[in-house]
Order: sequence, then C-alpha cells, then structure tokens
Amino acid sequence: MLTVKNLNSGYGKLQVLYDLNIEVPEKGLTVVVGPNGAGKTTLLCSIMNIATVFSGEITFGGEPLTGVVTHKLAQKGISYVPQMGNVFAELTVLDNLHMAGYMLSKAEANDKAAQMTEIFPVLKKFIHRLAGTLSGGERRMLAIAMGLMKNPKLMLLDELSTDLAPIIAERVMVEVARMRDELGITILMVEQMARRALEIGDTAYLLVSGEVRYSGQADSLLHEPELCSMYLGIKQTAGKGGSAKLSVSDEGSENS
Amino acid sequence: MAPWMSSGLIYASGLAMTAGSITLLYIVTRTFNFAVASMATIGFIVVYTGVSLYGGLPYQYYPFVLIIGAITGVICYYGLNRPLLYRKAAETTLMMSTLGYDLILLSLIQMYSDYLTYTFKLFPRRVTMSVFDFELYGESAATFILPITAIACLTILHFFLTKTKFGIAMRATIENPTLAGASGINSDRVYLVSWIISGSMAALGGSFMAMAMTGTPVMGMVTIPLMFAGAILGGLGNIYGGILGGMVIGLTEYAGVYFLAKQFGPWILGYRMGIPLFIMAATLLVFPRGLSGIPLGKIIKNLFGQKRGASA
Repeated sequence: MLTVKNLNSGYGKLQVLYDLNIEVPEKGLTVVVGPNGAGKTTLLCSIMNIATVFSGEITFGGEPLTGVVTHKLAQKGISYVPQMGNVFAELTVLDNLHMAGYMLSKAEANDKAAQMTEIFPVLKKFIHRLAGTLSGGERRMLAIAMGLMKNPKLMLLDELSTDLAPIIAERVMVEVARMRDELGITILMVEQMARRALEIGDTAYLLVSGEVRYSGQADSLLHEPELCSMYLGIKQTAGKGGSAKLSVSDEGSENS
Repeated sequence: MAPWMSSGLIYASGLAMTAGSITLLYIVTRTFNFAVASMATIGFIVVYTGVSLYGGLPYQYYPFVLIIGAITGVICYYGLNRPLLYRKAAETTLMMSTLGYDLILLSLIQMYSDYLTYTFKLFPRRVTMSVFDFELYGESAATFILPITAIACLTILHFFLTKTKFGIAMRATIENPTLAGASGINSDRVYLVSWIISGSMAALGGSFMAMAMTGTPVMGMVTIPLMFAGAILGGLGNIYGGILGGMVIGLTEYAGVYFLAKQFGPWILGYRMGIPLFIMAATLLVFPRGLSGIPLGKIIKNLFGQKRGASA
C-alpha cells in the first residue's frame, strides 16, 4: 500500500535517512523500531512532507506522495498522529475531534465524533474540557481518536507510548492492534516500546543511523538476540529447558 | 464628558484595532507587520475621499475601508509574505519585507494625495475629520459610535474564532501548524484570511484615529510606535490582549497628557508619546508576558478567597 524507495531525507541541509526502502502492506501493522536518533520520526515526517526529501520515491496505492502538501495527504486518507503536540491543547476535546475531521461535513463530523466517544468512552466524560487539561493517557486516546476521525486508509503513529505509565502504554497498544483487527486500517507505527510493538506487529523494520538493519516478520526480530540486545535493549536469557526468554535490560529504551 | 476622555476613547478605539491587527498577524504568520502604518492611513484617506467628494457621514464609508484594507492585506500576502513563508524566511526577513511594502504604500498614498489636490482641490495633508461628525448628547457622535463599533468588531471576531469551523481551524493552526496540516486544514487559506482580517482592522483603526487626531498621509508613520506598544503591552500572543493593550495605550496617552499638562504646564505636550511608552515599559517590568499574562482569574479568586476568609 505504501512504498518508500531509496529515500534520502532530513531537515534543511542535514541528512537523516539514507537510501531507505520500506514496504507497508495493506491492512497490516508495520512496526519501525530502533534506538534514539535512528530517524524513525524523520521517516514519518518525510511521508507527511514535513521533513525535506532530497531524493527517492514515496508512493501510496501507486500514487506518488513526494511534494504533495501536508493537508492534501489527509485528503488522500493518510492520518498522522505525531509523538509530541498531537492534540490542540487550547481547544476542547470536541473541537479537537471536529478539527481532525475538518474535511468532513458537519453532520458527518458529528456522527464520527459520537462514534469516537463510543470507541473511547473516556473522551465522552471530558468532551467539553480543554485537551490541555487531560492526562497523558487521555491525550493519547484523543490523539488516536483524532487520527481515526478521517476514516483513514493508512495511519502513521509516532511513539504513542512515550511518557506513559506502562499500564496506560499497554492499553494504547491494545487499541492499536484493535484498529488493525477490527477496523482493517493499515498502520505504520514507530515505537520505542520495542518488545510490545514487535509482539503485536506483522512486519518490522529496525532502523539504525538512518539505515535499515533488519526487515522481516515482526516476531522474528525478537529472535535476533544480537540486534535486540544491541539496538533495542532487549536481552534474551536461556530459560528452563533451554527455551529463550525475553527480558528488558534497559528500561530507558523500553518504556521510558 | 471631559474632552480628553472623549478624544481618548475615540483614539484608543482606533489604536486597539491596529494593535489587534499587529497581534493577529504575528501569532498566525510570525510577521511583525510594519505596513499597518500605511494600512491605517489608507483607512483615513478612504473616509476623507468619501466625505469630501460624495458627502455624508464618515461612518457610511467604513464598509469601503474594510474592503480596501482587506485588499492591501491580500496584496501583501501574495506579493511578499507567502513567498517568504514558503521559503521558511526568518522573522526579521518577514518583518523587513513589510517595511518595504509600507514604503510602497506610503508613496502611493502621497501620490493619491497629490492627485486629490490637483484634480479636486482637496487638501488631505492636514485634515480635522471631526468636522464631518455630528453631535450626540452634547458630544461628538464618534465618542459613542467608535468604541461601540470597536466592541462590535471584537465580538464578531470572537464569535468567528470560537463558533465557526474556519475560525476554530485558525486557532488550531495558530497553536500547532503541523498538526493542523495533518488534519487537512489548509494553512495557506488560514494565512490569507488572517491578512484579510488584519488589513481590515488596521484600515478601520486608522479611520477611527483620524476622528481624534489630525489626518495626514503620514499619520500611520507617526503613530506606529504606539500601535506596536499596544500589541507588546497585550503580550503578543493573544489577539484580545493586543486589543486591550491598544486601548490602554490610547487612553493613557490622552489621560496622561491632560493631567500632566495641568500639573506641569503645556510644555509636556511635546512628550505625549513618551507617557504610554513609559506605562508599557513599567507594565512589562511587572508582568513580562504583558496584559494577557496577568493571572486575572487567580487574582479574583485570591481576592474573593481573602474576603471569605476575612468574614469567616
């Protein structure tokens, strides 16, 4: 569905990604993991035409995306949930939902917002409250709901679990998996909480210093002890009977 | 009503509109609009042309002021601001480009003033617009009409920003342009509309100010420090703060001059612009984020809390 070919991009004159190739299959959950500064967010920003694309090709359903202005990408069915600043803090929850569904008619936006409050009941309680007053977890739920308001074909999720308590982060991950399973949405997710993301993902890419170091089945990456330990802070220890057990060696990179 | 109060209210209403115009444009496009000076003068010139050539009251020409102000805003956006914004120009570049536009507008105003003089024997270089006004309850009608118009404009702006889909989209873009773009909001349209509103507000403000001061082709140039003082006093991050800042600057100038001249003599009139600028500096020393940074809610809460505590 989404194809990234030989992408070289960055910010201004600074190059972050080098000859990147990524394939996001339809109705699947593709996970991009890697250490800090690997270029994961830059990948999403390049797709959304927020970062500078120096060369390469990005296509969505066969249609080229390079150079298409950001607000038109939303019209094409691409929904982007940034890591930071993913809600309008000075608007109410309802206004946030309506803004996320900006391209919908008033009636459609109202219906969709009502649907979102059904999916995320926590939002119903705070519908007239300013988004800036919500807790971290509630904000993340609102951000996901905003992403869903547009009836997206493809969702780009940037480190949804960052700064969340582990229990809330787990709830967010469950919602992401539900979006794929129940709504059939294609998802490209960049995540720091690597182990959990790889458990729920279908396809995975490991990004290191702007280059792809691994591509393949998501759960298979968990069985690459060297890569997991070196780049993701996941160590495999031998359990009873010789079976491999996963443990988190570096809390900072897992769910800080 | 004391004469200083009457003129002060008229002048402050105009200054509030121009300060609001500066603030709106700054928070949306990061541009300090120096062209607000000539946009304000255009407001005066349009009304003067109307009443001189076609008669009637100054107020009936305000719709034309709004339209022509909006057109000057649109020209500046497409001609200068938009190409620079898309090239990610620095704030200083954006600001200096508006200064260039202001000088172009100023030249056009001068040429138009000469045209009025040579063709229609009009003299727009020293005009007392208040002579075209009428009396209401023993005062100049502008004393009532202009503050009410300013409040009406503010109310309409508030309604637009809080109740309409596009107005809320404007606020969303102001707060987070990246997320707004990702939500499908066309920031280009938001910038254009902010230039339209800003140009209209500046021109209307200029036409208000000309009812209290001598109208000249350089009146905007003379008063621009006070327009910016109003915007800065308001905190630069809040349109309502900017409007309030302009109001405070305008009123303090007239009140300050009146009371200080009474105390120290008329020589103080030469330093009239210093009074509001001093008040601006003093206010910013106490409240660095300007008037919009004053925690009014907290102050009121504390006051009421204290009262309750005292009565208990």
